Amino acid sequence: MIFVKIKNLNFLLIFLLALLSFIGAAGLYSAADGSYEPWASKHLIRFLVFLILAISISLIDIKNIYRYAYLFFILSLLLLISVEIIGVLGKGATRWIRIFGFSIQPSEIVKITIIMALAKFYHEVKFENIKKISYLFFPFLILIIPFFLVIIQPDLGTSLSILLLGILILFLVGIRIWKFILGFLITLISIPVLLQFVKPYQKSRIISFLNPESDPLGQGYQLIQSKIALGSGGITGKGFLQGTQSYLEYLPEKQTDFIFTLIGEEFGFLGSIFIILIFLLIISICYFVSIKSSHTFGKIVAIGVGSNLFIYVFMNIAMVSGLMPVVGIPLPLVSYGGSVMLSVMISMGLVLNVELNYNVKKFNYA
Amino acid sequence: MFYSEQKKQINLYNRRTFFLYLIKASLFSIVGWRLYNIQILDSNKYRTLSKKNQIDLEIIFPVRGKILDRNNILIADNEKVYDLYLIPEKTKSINILLNSLSKFIKIDFTKRRKIIDLSKKLKKFEKIKIFENINWATLEKIESNKHNLNGVFVAEDYLRIYPYNEVYCHLIGYISKPNEKDLSLPFISKMPNLDIGKKGLEKSFNSVLVGKPGQREVEVNSNGRVIREISKIKSKKGKEINISIDTRIQEYAMNLLKSHRAGSINVLNIRTGEILCMASTPTYDPNKIIKKPNKIYWDNLLKNNLGPLTNRSIQGLYAPGSTFKMIVAIAALKHGIIDTKISHSCNGKIEFGDRLYHCWKINGHGNMNVINAIKQSCDVFFYEISKKLGIDKIASVAKDFGLGKTYDIFLPNQKEGIIPNKEWKKNNIGENWYAGETLISGIGQGFVLTNPLQLAVMTSIIASNGKKIRPTILKNDHKDFEEDKKYTKEIKIIKEAMFKVVNEDRGTAFASRLDNAKFAGKTGTSQVKRITILERESDEFRKKEQEWKNRDHALFVGYSPYDNPKYSISVVIEHGGSGASTAAPLAKQVFNYINKL
Repeated sequence: MIFVKIKNLNFLLIFLLALLSFIGAAGLYSAADGSYEPWASKHLIRFLVFLILAISISLIDIKNIYRYAYLFFILSLLLLISVEIIGVLGKGATRWIRIFGFSIQPSEIVKITIIMALAKFYHEVKFENIKKISYLFFPFLILIIPFFLVIIQPDLGTSLSILLLGILILFLVGIRIWKFILGFLITLISIPVLLQFVKPYQKSRIISFLNPESDPLGQGYQLIQSKIALGSGGITGKGFLQGTQSYLEYLPEKQTDFIFTLIGEEFGFLGSIFIILIFLLIISICYFVSIKSSHTFGKIVAIGVGSNLFIYVFMNIAMVSGLMPVVGIPLPLVSYGGSVMLSVMISMGLVLNVELNYNVKKFNYA
Repeated sequence: MFYSEQKKQINLYNRRTFFLYLIKASLFSIVGWRLYNIQILDSNKYRTLSKKNQIDLEIIFPVRGKILDRNNILIADNEKVYDLYLIPEKTKSINILLNSLSKFIKIDFTKRRKIIDLSKKLKKFEKIKIFENINWATLEKIESNKHNLNGVFVAEDYLRIYPYNEVYCHLIGYISKPNEKDLSLPFISKMPNLDIGKKGLEKSFNSVLVGKPGQREVEVNSNGRVIREISKIKSKKGKEINISIDTRIQEYAMNLLKSHRAGSINVLNIRTGEILCMASTPTYDPNKIIKKPNKIYWDNLLKNNLGPLTNRSIQGLYAPGSTFKMIVAIAALKHGIIDTKISHSCNGKIEFGDRLYHCWKINGHGNMNVINAIKQSCDVFFYEISKKLGIDKIASVAKDFGLGKTYDIFLPNQKEGIIPNKEWKKNNIGENWYAGETLISGIGQGFVLTNPLQLAVMTSIIASNGKKIRPTILKNDHKDFEEDKKYTKEIKIIKEAMFKVVNEDRGTAFASRLDNAKFAGKTGTSQVKRITILERESDEFRKKEQEWKNRDHALFVGYSPYDNPKYSISVVIEHGGSGASTAAPLAKQVFNYINKL
């Protein structure tokens, strides 16, 4: 039974994930000036561990995932809350929590449980009820509680991506466009309230985004440097390990949020587009799985995961290319960092699972 | 009904899925378009910006300003020299190259080792200096065999040279690598390898002579290799300085001093304050200090206990002896102790307290007025008048005549000497002033110490009838000197006496007179203290040495021409015997030489 399932796994998806993390490892190798330490080797080991985890998740009975979706959500919320409590007790903002010796960011995990909780909710709601306002209340809670908890960490990038993820899923299930517009207006009105949660350094990031050249050594410095790195790469790039910008330590956080600029410098426009195309292909597979799935839960999970990945990729590249403020979003599987990779690989495990279980029937009574 | 609802839901999902996918694809396209803009359309712009991050600045050292004398004769110059460099990556093998190079220039074993070791430490494209200032003949040989010497190249550099060797050593000084302390000086920031002045005028005028560094912006790749030159700002040559010295007089005076172990001759232009000659011996050759290796030369200089590095004109302190008598006489005339008629009788000694004070003439001069006392340098006369004057009045006049102070002549480490008074002794020795010490001071002995330049300035002030002359080492730097009428009457008397010193029978310097161009002056002979420890040594050489060391210093100050003074002079010969016999003849020769110029 298990072997049949393994045989039926989407190996194209697994290959693409592996390809991305290899590209990431190459970038990290270059960022460390041609060394596996301190990033590249860890990156690859993590990927292997998380890949096994993802495949394990894909083999779980989908009915159990469905059954415990809310529980997972509540557990992840508790983790998130504990981060806040630790932050308050430790008298400093933190995004991390240590579990079994690993530092993870609950805000990354919560994205997956949001997807599962929303999928379960809309799986159960009758179609004619979806449009009713009263049925919006529960999804709204699922979104707004983690959003609030993350924005006070403060982590502007992640909280925005949670909001965006929710909007995309709500759009999928059929919420009317005018309701989004209404919600947008309400948000606009509540901006003064929200601004109280925006820390000065975040404000300065937004300001520097509006005019990066005005402050070349401050926040805008990162942006100028990353644009120089990308731009000097040209069409084909300077070649592997030839990226002078990163060697000369001009690039801030080159191993995490700005890894894409390093690859863009060394492999040029073609390299950049290649990475975007791989991501697009993975997202397309998610959509394919969604369409293939006969049940709503699977449809929503697959598209939710795809959207989550899309949000990461779009925000990261938009950020390093100057389309968006620098908000601190990594490029999944390519950037160094365990939490995002863990979160993305778990979610990919879910997509693999949905594909294996695309025609499961009688969900509700499992 | 149920079935159609489900179908409706699936239709909606499909529609919205498609729509979402379209949105994402188009957002990706926007990102792709943005990357296209940055990486392809604007690539050139960012490429140059990226290069800016790898631009190295190379400092181009400025050429040091020259120093010229008052007649534009070069006394500190820069000579173009050629250095030999080697670039390891351009050679087939360093060993083979050094072998072929050794046909033209001697490379000893240690040098060879050094070069090879260095080439292993440095990057392959970094140049190694293998020879400094090679001579023309060698250069020609190397240039004509260039095809066999791939990897060797010649670069120009400048070497400071002093064409007059030791003639200007104390005045000009020399240049060398800055030390830790020098590096904080503003004018050498960025140029830690640039030689800077370490002594004399080279040091004082560093900020002027150094010039402004240029810079070269070069593009450097990630390994540090220079790819191309981007911009170049030429360095600015240091300014030239014209000093007031007349090389002819300077050289002449140096030659005169050669016949003595140590001494100093200073000539001032009285009207301008310009120092025309500042000669001091023993000397050193700054060229030998600059040319490396210089260790042996340095060691010899430091071993020489006459101190060749000392500029005696401003750093040598001597009791002025009888040249100080003009000051005492002016003070006595000024304070009404004497007039031209009052005389004192000299029988060779006077008794004061419980001590005898001797005149240099054992049998005495007989009756002396002030003019005769100066002319014949009678000590007893000056014992008598300084006894009545008191030390404080003498000291105050001495200071008016430029003694006991340093001058603004841009020469470092001038010694101000001592013009003692009661307060000075209390502060510095912690004792009260004894009246007997006034007598000793009255003939320029005891505590009184002056440097030769001060004596020349003192003489200039007297010769100019009291103008407040300030010496200068720069050409055309003089201001009009303030006329001070304070001592006009007294100076007139003193000048008459100084004329007689040289030009009248029995004057102490009568033997050194110049009949065609009369000058005035005053001799001085200052006693040297015995050093009893050395005295005890019986070694034959030591004895001779000791003899020399115990001899008196010979001094002479003067001005010429006597009736319309233009030049003043001070001559000090260490242990020269007497002023009349040793110093005055030198002054006569210098004046004679100047008159013929």
